[in-house]
Amino acid sequence: MARIGGPDRPRLRALTYGALLAGAFIVLFLLAGILGPVAIAPLTVFHILGYEITGGAFGGSPCGGSVDPTRCATLVLIVWESIVPEILLAFLAGALLGVSGGLLQGVFRNPLADPYLLGISTGAAIGASILFVFGVGVAQANLTLPLLAFVGALLTGLVILLAARSPRSSIETLMLTGVALNAFLSGGLVFTLLYNPIGNLQLNFWLLGGVFGATWSQVGLLVGGVLVVGALVVLHGRALNLLQLGGDVAQSLGLDSRRVVMRSILLASVATALAVAFTGVIGFVGLIAPHIARRLFGYDYRRVLPISAVVGAILLGGAFDLSFAILPSTELPIGVPMAFLGGPFFVYVLYRYRQRSGPGAET
Amino acid sequence: MRRAIRLEFDQVSAGYDDRPALHRVSFRADPGEVVALTGPNGSGKTTLLRATLGLLPLLGGRISIGSTSTAQLSIRERARWFGWMPQSEPIREDIRVRQYVLYGRNPWIGPWESEGPEDHEAVDRALAAVDLSVPPERGILELSGGERQRALMARVLASEAPFLLLDEPTAHIDIGHQIDLLERVRSLCHREQKVALVALHDLNLAARFADRIVTLHRGRLVADGPVRSILSPDLLREVWGIVAELKRDPASGLPYLLPTLPGPVVRSGGSAFEGIVHVVGGGGAARGLLQRLHGEGFLLSLGAVHLFDSDSELARELGIPAVVETPFAPLSEAVRERHRELIRSARAVVVAPFAVGPGNLANLEDLVDTIGARPLALYEPPGLPARDFTGGRSEPLLQELRRRGAAVLATLDEVVGWADRAVAARERMPPAGGPAGAGGPPGEPSRGR
Repeated sequence: MARIGGPDRPRLRALTYGALLAGAFIVLFLLAGILGPVAIAPLTVFHILGYEITGGAFGGSPCGGSVDPTRCATLVLIVWESIVPEILLAFLAGALLGVSGGLLQGVFRNPLADPYLLGISTGAAIGASILFVFGVGVAQANLTLPLLAFVGALLTGLVILLAARSPRSSIETLMLTGVALNAFLSGGLVFTLLYNPIGNLQLNFWLLGGVFGATWSQVGLLVGGVLVVGALVVLHGRALNLLQLGGDVAQSLGLDSRRVVMRSILLASVATALAVAFTGVIGFVGLIAPHIARRLFGYDYRRVLPISAVVGAILLGGAFDLSFAILPSTELPIGVPMAFLGGPFFVYVLYRYRQRSGPGAET
Repeated sequence: MRRAIRLEFDQVSAGYDDRPALHRVSFRADPGEVVALTGPNGSGKTTLLRATLGLLPLLGGRISIGSTSTAQLSIRERARWFGWMPQSEPIREDIRVRQYVLYGRNPWIGPWESEGPEDHEAVDRALAAVDLSVPPERGILELSGGERQRALMARVLASEAPFLLLDEPTAHIDIGHQIDLLERVRSLCHREQKVALVALHDLNLAARFADRIVTLHRGRLVADGPVRSILSPDLLREVWGIVAELKRDPASGLPYLLPTLPGPVVRSGGSAFEGIVHVVGGGGAARGLLQRLHGEGFLLSLGAVHLFDSDSELARELGIPAVVETPFAPLSEAVRERHRELIRSARAVVVAPFAVGPGNLANLEDLVDTIGARPLALYEPPGLPARDFTGGRSEPLLQELRRRGAAVLATLDEVVGWADRAVAARERMPPAGGPAGAGGPPGEPSRGR
C-alpha cells in the first residue's frame, strides 16, 4: 500500500517547526523577565518558577543563592504575581483568537475573516463596556465583566447565525453582514466608552487590549476555556477541510454543511468571547495566525486549527514582550505592539512562503 | 458490492419556492445503465441532479431508490448512495491529490473516526480506475485540466456509491479526455451495475456513450428513450432550435448529427422556438392564461396583439415570442401572415376571451383559415362581459370554430389539463419509423440493448 504520510521531508520540516515553536514559548518567558520593568536574569526567572511551581519543596531561596532576600521578595512578586499571569493570559488569549480566526476563515472560505472584522470582538467589548455605564471600572471587574463580554460576543455571533439561517444567504452575504455589524457595534462601543465616567484608561484597554493586572484566577478560567474549546475545535478539522470544496460538494459528501457553519461560528464566538472578556479587543491576531499556520504547515484544517492557536499564542506573547521593550514603565495597550510585530512578520511570511497556485483554481 | 437497485423519478417538480425549474418529470434508470440528460442551457439538467442530491427541495413528486424515497435519507446516507461530480468546484487551497480523493470516503467515516485502511484501499482502487498517474503528493491545483477532472472522478468513485450524478463532466477537458472519461464511466456502470446520470451538452457524445437519452426542455421531460431511436430532427429543431441532419455510424449503427447552416431560425419573438401552445389574445384578456400556462412549463407563443397592451407586455416579460402590431393600428397583412405562421407551427391553440373590435377581428378570420386539424380551445370563463365590438361580425366566426370541434373551457385548470393532453399526445410520441418503444407510454424504461 502507498505511504499515507507522504515522503519524509515534509514530516521532518513539521518536526523542526514544532521544536522551534516550543522553544519560542520558553524564550518569550525569559525575554519578559529581561525586558520587564525590573530586568531579571533568565536564571533567576527559572529559579522563581521552579520554586513557586514546586511550592518551595526543595527549600532555599526562591531566587537562587546569590540574590538579596529583600530584593528576592520583590522579584518573586513581579515574576509570579505579575509577569507570569500576564504572559500566560497573553498566550491563552492569543490561542483563542488564533483558533477563532482559523475557524472563521475556514467557514467563510475567505482569507480576511476574523473575529474582529466580523464584529464578534467588538460585540464582546460592548457587552463589557455596558458595565461602565453603571460606574464599575476594570479594577472592580469580577466575573460580571467577563460574563457580560461573553454575552455580547455570543449575541453578535447569534445575529450572524440568524442571517446564516436564511436559505438565500450566501457565504459572501454572511461575511458582509458581519462587517456591517462590526461597523455598527464599533460606533456603539465608542459611544458607550465616552459615556463612561471613569476616564480614558478603559477606552484604551477595550479598544486596543491589554493583559496588565492579570490574575491567576483569570488564567485558570481561560485554561479551562482553552481546553474545552480546543477539544471541540479538534473535531471540526475534517469538516472544515470538506467545506473548502464548497458547501454543496461537502453536503454531497455526507456533511451537514449548514450545521457545521453554524457550529463553527458559535464556537468561534465562544473562543473570542473568552479572550476578549479578559483582554479587551485585540485585532489582527485572529487574522494572521491562521495564515501563518497555513503557510508553514499546509492546508489541512486538522492541523491548521491547533497550529493557529499556537501561532496566536506566540504572537500575542511576543507582543507582550515587545510592549516592555517599547515603553518599559507604562502600560502600553497590547494592540500597539501586536500591530508593530504582526504587520511586518505577516508580510514576511506572505512573501517568504509563497502560496502555490495552478490552473483552474476558479471557474 | 451492493445489490443493484433502480433509481426512479416520479412526477418530480423542484426549484426555489415560487419558481419551479422542473415540472413533473418522470423517468427511471435501471442498474447498469448510463442515462444522458440532455437539453439546452437552463432546461433543468443541473436542477434535476441537485434535487436528487437534496441540495434543492422537491416541490412535488418523489425520487426513489428501489422502494425507499430519498426524502427519508439523512445527508450521510444520501452521500453513500449518490456520487456527485459538480460542474465546477471552487478549490482555493492546494490539497494533495491523495487527500482530495480521500474526501470521497467521508460518507463512510464517522464524525469521531479517522480514515482506516479500507478507506485507503478504496482510494487506491479509485485512482487506479481513472488511471491517474501523477504522484499522489502532488497538489490538486498543479494538475492539468484533464488530470484534475480525473482526480475529481476518482473522488466521486472513492465513495463507491451505486449512483453517479455527473454534471457536465466533459465541460473543461479536451476531446481525448472526454472520450476516455465517458468510456470509463460506461464500462464501470456496465461492469458494476452502477447507474450514471450524465448531464451532457454534446449530443454526439451522448449518443456514443449513453444507453438512453432523456431530454429536458424548460424543465419538462420532452423525450426519453434509447439512443438509437430517440434523436430526431424534430426533437433537435423543437428543443435546441437547430436544423440538423442525423446520420448513422455504419460500424455501430449509432446516430450522430450534423447541424445544417445557417443555424437557429429566429422568429418574431426573438426565440429560436415557435412555441408549442399558441395563445390568441389581446388587451390583457390572455394574462391569466399566459401566466398559468407559463408557470406550468408550457412552451408558448402569442399572437397577434398590439404593442404595449398588457398581453404583449407580459409576453415580453416572460420571454414568450409574440406577433406584435403597432398600437391601435388594424392588423396589417405582414403581421397577419406571421401570425398564421405561428398558428401553423403550434401544437395546440388556445383563444383568450379577448374583446373583438375591427382592429383585431382578423385574428378570428386567420384562425378559421389556418387552424386545420390542430387542437383548439376557446377559454370562456363564466360571467364574461360582452366582447363583440364589431356589430356582430365576430360571433359567426367563433361559431364556425366551435362547429369544427373547438373545446370550450371555463376554468384555467381545464385549460391546463386540455393543453397537457394536446401537447403530450404528440410530443412524447417517438419519431416515425423508430424501431423500439413506439406506442409505449412515456417513461417506460427501455434498456436499448
